[in-house]
Amino acid sequence: MSPLLEFYGVARSFGERVALDDVNFALERGEFAFLVGPTGAGKTTLLKLVNREIRPTAGEVWIDGVAAHTLKSTRVAELRRRVGVVFQDFKLLPRLTAVENVSFGLQVTDLRISDQEARDRAQDALDAVGLGDRADAFPDELSGGQQQRVAIARALAPQPPMLIADEPTGNLDLETAWQVMTLLQDVSRFGTAVLVATHNVEIVKRLQRRVLTLVEGRLVRDQPAGRVGRLAWAVKS
Amino acid sequence: MGGQVLRPAFPGRRTLLVVIKNTVRYLLRDAARNWVRNLGSTAPALGSMTILLLLSGIAGLGWYTLRSATARASADAAVLHVYLRDDAKQADVDTLRQNLAGNPRVVRVTYVSKADALKKAARRPGLPDLTAVADPNPFPASFDLMVRSVQDVGGLAGSVQHDPAVDPLLPTSYEPGAYQRLQQLLTWVGVAGLVLMLLLAFVAVTVTANSVRAAIHSRRDELMIMQLVGARRWMVRGPFLVEGALTGGAAGIIAGLVTLIVGVSVVGIGAANFAQVAPGLTTGVAILAGAVVLLVGVGLGSGSSLLGVRRHLET
Repeated sequence: MSPLLEFYGVARSFGERVALDDVNFALERGEFAFLVGPTGAGKTTLLKLVNREIRPTAGEVWIDGVAAHTLKSTRVAELRRRVGVVFQDFKLLPRLTAVENVSFGLQVTDLRISDQEARDRAQDALDAVGLGDRADAFPDELSGGQQQRVAIARALAPQPPMLIADEPTGNLDLETAWQVMTLLQDVSRFGTAVLVATHNVEIVKRLQRRVLTLVEGRLVRDQPAGRVGRLAWAVKS
Repeated sequence: MGGQVLRPAFPGRRTLLVVIKNTVRYLLRDAARNWVRNLGSTAPALGSMTILLLLSGIAGLGWYTLRSATARASADAAVLHVYLRDDAKQADVDTLRQNLAGNPRVVRVTYVSKADALKKAARRPGLPDLTAVADPNPFPASFDLMVRSVQDVGGLAGSVQHDPAVDPLLPTSYEPGAYQRLQQLLTWVGVAGLVLMLLLAFVAVTVTANSVRAAIHSRRDELMIMQLVGARRWMVRGPFLVEGALTGGAAGIIAGLVTLIVGVSVVGIGAANFAQVAPGLTTGVAILAGAVVLLVGVGLGSGSSLLGVRRHLET
């Protein structure tokens, strides 16, 4: 079976500035990987390429057999339904409850889902992230960690084969961050490939999962799971 | 006991109902709610579009009236009235009739007696009162000539003006250049109106597109989430088009109603005074103009929104 995510010689420039240069890697189904590097290394740019928010300047990006690098803008939505996204600032709608936030994400992508079905699936997703009892709470009634769990539930509810997370623990204390990372790790065990961009060295070392290190737009290191020692960019910076 | 798989009755219909319900909710209801919520920022677009549509409606009625007048003038231009002296000899009249009937430029010759001329005048708006008080009958008898070509009217008028049967003071109805002047006026009015409408349309479209930009900005978080979770393009863009259509529709209703009222009022004034204030303008035409203004408003609002969405909504 071919990898779920493949980057072949990917480069991306913004005018004169090179954000990514000749990036090559692949991610298998159910694999969990960290994407690390100093600020401005190109982590967010790489995730935006996965979600086809931007196109590469050169190279190829394949996701679940779909060529994201040549995908027409009219078909982007189709790709995005295969990639769940989690952000540092959660991006929940404040006027909706936790369960409504999750079901909103389900219904706007598939109009065939009834209110009851959307609510049931949203409730299941919230149960899976340990927030079943706070389903009717509004975002401002939840802690940062709980809001991030709701965001993860929203990303997972459509059961995408891949999940990307951009600094998902950036706004959380260490204990909560650990819980969220453990949750993402559990997600990968159920077959969803997870790619997490993070600055959190402590968590990266503790989880001992695959680490892709970006420095100045280049993939300088690809450490397999269980062999994460010194992190090149952390030592350098 | 064996299990039995239960299937809902008409699952396809149920799915269709769910799709309709969700479409109404996310496309129409949300758009209407946001439109009401953002009425403050939509007001300039609504105002400029109402002014545009109102002026277009009034100008449209004016143009229609002018066009009717020109069409009537065009029809009249091919008819030449040759007025006869009250004391003309019957022999001279008969000779003139024979000459005219034999003229290859004349299609038809019709004799109109003084009594018939009075009856015709009485049917014209504004003239019944005059005909009632006029004694003796001031209208002359005439030969009404249907001329083959408008260009021949001048020549024919010149050829009969010294005939002994023809009234020397007012020989014919020929007025050089009247028809051309009306045509020219219609062209200039049309061009000026078109330029003004284009200018106003540009303003209205720009203002509406900017109001869409404001609406997009106010809902940027929701839109971003919709786009990132993979909502279809029409789901993301549709509500803004509906909002634009609502703006255009509201402007169209206001402008359409005013156009209708103005049109019906003009028809009413004309009827009350027996005056031909606006030739060709009827209540039906006024209703049609109001409906067209409404439809143009909806189209213009949706189109402007589409422009704003294409320009300001990234995918």
